[in-house]
Amino acid sequence: MMQFNPGAVLAPAVDWLNANFHGFFAQVTLVIEALLGAIEAALMTLPPFAVIAIVVIAAFAAAGLRLAILAACCLGFCWLTELWQASMQTIALMLVAVIVAVAVAVPLGILAARRPAIEATLRPILDVMQTVPPWVYLIPAVMIFSLGRVPAIIATIVYGIPPMLRLTTLAFRGVPHDLRELGQAIGARPRTILWKIEFPAAKPTMLVGLNQCILLSLAMVVLAGLVGAGGLGAEVTRGLTRMEMGLGLRAGLAIVAVAILVDRLSRSALDRGRGPHKSA
Amino acid sequence: MESFVTAFDTTVDDALFWLSDHAAFVFDGIRALLEGLYDGILWLLMLPPFWVVAVISGLIGWRVLGTGFGVVGALGLIACAAMGLWPETMSTLALVVAATAIALAVGLPLGVLAGLIPRLDGALTPALDLIQTLPPYIYLLPAIALMGYGPATALIATVIVAMPPAIRLTSLGIRQTRTEFLELGDAVGASRAQMFFKIRLPFAVPSIMAGINQSLMMAFGMVVIAGIVGSGGLGETIYSAIRTLDIATSINASIAIVVLTMLLDRMTQAAARTK
Repeated sequence: MMQFNPGAVLAPAVDWLNANFHGFFAQVTLVIEALLGAIEAALMTLPPFAVIAIVVIAAFAAAGLRLAILAACCLGFCWLTELWQASMQTIALMLVAVIVAVAVAVPLGILAARRPAIEATLRPILDVMQTVPPWVYLIPAVMIFSLGRVPAIIATIVYGIPPMLRLTTLAFRGVPHDLRELGQAIGARPRTILWKIEFPAAKPTMLVGLNQCILLSLAMVVLAGLVGAGGLGAEVTRGLTRMEMGLGLRAGLAIVAVAILVDRLSRSALDRGRGPHKSA
Repeated sequence: MESFVTAFDTTVDDALFWLSDHAAFVFDGIRALLEGLYDGILWLLMLPPFWVVAVISGLIGWRVLGTGFGVVGALGLIACAAMGLWPETMSTLALVVAATAIALAVGLPLGVLAGLIPRLDGALTPALDLIQTLPPYIYLLPAIALMGYGPATALIATVIVAMPPAIRLTSLGIRQTRTEFLELGDAVGASRAQMFFKIRLPFAVPSIMAGINQSLMMAFGMVVIAGIVGSGGLGETIYSAIRTLDIATSINASIAIVVLTMLLDRMTQAAARTK
């Protein structure tokens, strides 16, 4: 039977990349580690109860009592089960990935909404990206950045980009034409139109994209426990592979708490973003 | 604090011991049932040689999507075999098919009921929201605690993940039937069964097919992740390749996964469109 082994061809190519672009990958690693380190430091230098208090007060101010109680319960659970550090690591990983993914996806999405040619090239790529199972994203990242947090972040960023990009394009395409014409009629500059007219009108749909981006990123960060990303995913992996079910379930429940918290927080932003439009 | 955590861990362990002492027959039964289903499907898929499966898939691809897709699909499957990953590819496919079949067997009737009874829909929605909010990885935890390593655990976790889209989109499809057609049915004196099978169901088919496609894709994502609990198939191949940093094998297995996913996704999407 004929043999076909693309891996055997590609593996030396990966080695070559690693040998010749080591400097570049080291730079990327350095930047990501620095960003991650800063967010982790911010989350972990404060004692747990202080972080909980800040989040609860912010939730109360932003969305009222119910969300504040929910936040207190979720974070309190992470703290009580002695998974505070792991939870904060997971949240830091997720935050960094979401920030980078949004920074990449929003400009691209706006561009795609303006230029049909760009959208036509991006769409098949996004289709493939959203069909492929998340596990597959981790493999190229691990090949180049080896095990640890950096490949986890890279894979998470790539995984989080498609929903944000798609919904940004959708949002900007959905901005009513008369609003844009109004801007032009009163002689607003393109930049003013973008910031004062298009962004506010596109906000509700973009927030849906953000919510999806956050949840997918969390799922990926947890999965990345398999490649040594640390955090709650690593605890679940330990529970699964060593049959320490107590630890595994505790970490699993902590993930549930974190997931519910970030979902409700981003959704309350969504509801507020929608509020003025309903009344208008 | 320490005592709370220790108490939690011991309680969980004790509960699991108690379950494995007293309810082992239940879980063994479920396990045997699931593994029987999986083995049966796998046996069917492995019965013909690889090129027969590839040619049949190519023909289906040609019928639903055209010549180009058919040829590429068949070549993709032959490439999986040429990489020496045919058994793994087929056991991944068997897992996906088994899990999706169970998910649909539960999800479609539930979705139809939820579409007809608004109150049931209201009760199901928050549960489905929760299932879809949580990272899929954690569904392996309860499954492995009760079933141990093996394909049965992978199947249970996969069914949980694959069910919500089927329920949601079926219910949506049933509810979306246009009022004029329902009134038309009333006007011509259709019985309740006729009303359902001749009017509601045909209108719901596109939405239901979209739900089946999404279930299949969720199942794919989960089956590959379930390699860590010894599901067999490509997921396990990748998991062990990554742990030993065997780059060549993990690239091959990823290519096989991408081929299989794209093939199934495009085919079911096309089937949804033509209906």
